[in-house]
Amino acid sequence: MNVPEELRYSTDHEWVRTDGDVVRIGITDYAQDALGDVVFVQVPTVGQEVTAGDTFGEVESTKSVSDVFAPVSGTVVEVNEALADAPQSLNDDPYGDGWICTIRVSDPGQLDALLDAPAYQALVEG
Amino acid sequence: MALERSPLDDVHRRLGARMVPFGGWDMPLEYGPGTIAEHLACRRDAVVFDVSHLGTVRVDGPDALDRLQAAFTNDLGKVAPGRAQYTHLLDDTDASVLDDIIVWWHPDSSGGDRFDVMPNASNTDRVRDAVGGRETTHERAVLAVQGPAARQRLAAVFPEAAAVRRFRVATATWQRTGCIVAGTGYTGEPGVEIAVPAESATALWEAVTAAGIEPAGLGARDTLRLEAGLPLYGHELGTGITPLQAGLGWVVAWAKPGFRGRTPLATERGRGISRRLAGIATAGRRPPRAGCPVRLDGQDGIVGEVTSGNFSPVLGHGIALAFLPPDVEVGTPVTVDVRGTALAGTVTTTPFVTSAG
Repeated sequence: MNVPEELRYSTDHEWVRTDGDVVRIGITDYAQDALGDVVFVQVPTVGQEVTAGDTFGEVESTKSVSDVFAPVSGTVVEVNEALADAPQSLNDDPYGDGWICTIRVSDPGQLDALLDAPAYQALVEG
Repeated sequence: MALERSPLDDVHRRLGARMVPFGGWDMPLEYGPGTIAEHLACRRDAVVFDVSHLGTVRVDGPDALDRLQAAFTNDLGKVAPGRAQYTHLLDDTDASVLDDIIVWWHPDSSGGDRFDVMPNASNTDRVRDAVGGRETTHERAVLAVQGPAARQRLAAVFPEAAAVRRFRVATATWQRTGCIVAGTGYTGEPGVEIAVPAESATALWEAVTAAGIEPAGLGARDTLRLEAGLPLYGHELGTGITPLQAGLGWVVAWAKPGFRGRTPLATERGRGISRRLAGIATAGRRPPRAGCPVRLDGQDGIVGEVTSGNFSPVLGHGIALAFLPPDVEVGTPVTVDVRGTALAGTVTTTPFVTSAG
């Protein structure tokens, strides 16, 4: 299970790449493996205000649908339009081409509440 | 209750399959390549499924044919020893489909007729109660080899099995092991299903896969059968659903003297069905799912419900089976409500995908 050291993680299996006050998010390798082949991703809307813990997207696989929860509060800046034609990027490259959106965080302090890589690894290896 | 395990259980685990409970059995959902790759391998080449979870009830003896004829809707008089037939067991009170079944009629009936009745895993007991016989499920594994190249690839390792044509049943010997082979399947592709004694199942599986036939799991089996427009018990068939509503009137042999559920089914036939199973093709990749309501465009009310839906790997868009009013024609625009999102769809004929093989 790939858990990159430089990322932060939510207990809902999203990753967060911090770069100033705009963060990039996606679902983890563990999450994509559990979902199976992803066939559709409902990305949020640019400009949408999101609250940490709320549902703001959906990932559909051949076997089920899964909600995507906002790992932080803020405003959606950019969404990954390429997922419309290549949703399998979530399986093939969950931390790269499979990113879902970027969010301008309302309060950078909330990033401290996320898990670091060892803590997330411990969570999924439970 | 502990899940039943296939004779091929160790093989699946060694291959790293994702195992899931299905009909009381612990079975492979998918292997490393994943459901879509396994699906496409079946449409383009050949795959092998472990379908040992299907039940087998062996029915023989002098009255075996009469018992099956009295219980099931189809007419074995239309076929002969050495043939397979799809049939239904109905509820005697309301003609609900209690199970859909393939009957394998053994080719050698010199010692009297012998049938292997193949119910869905969870319905084996009720089928045995209806026709008698002895359950032999645990004595064998069943390998389904399916795809346009299935027979060609299988011929390299088990030519006798590869030679069994569509809906034929034959005995075949592989390395001194007697098998029963039927030209049947659940994918819409050519292929055969091989009942092999449990102790020889792993060796046959390994020979088959060494011939370039890739393992495929129940995930792909489900998306394949959906593309082929084939019903799944518990979705398109089950309590409150008759063969006529499911569009399977051809399974009902009205001309034979009788069968379980004939009286309530005849009443429905006289009255006319209230709903009929239809195919819906939806726009875009989002999969419609079982339980999603269906509306006719320009009308507010819900007219039907999806029974099975998914993304079609071959077509690249959503497909669904749904019960709709019987007068809704092919080509009618509909809307499928997927958790609040309106998906545009069109009523279409099934199968959604036909074999190139």
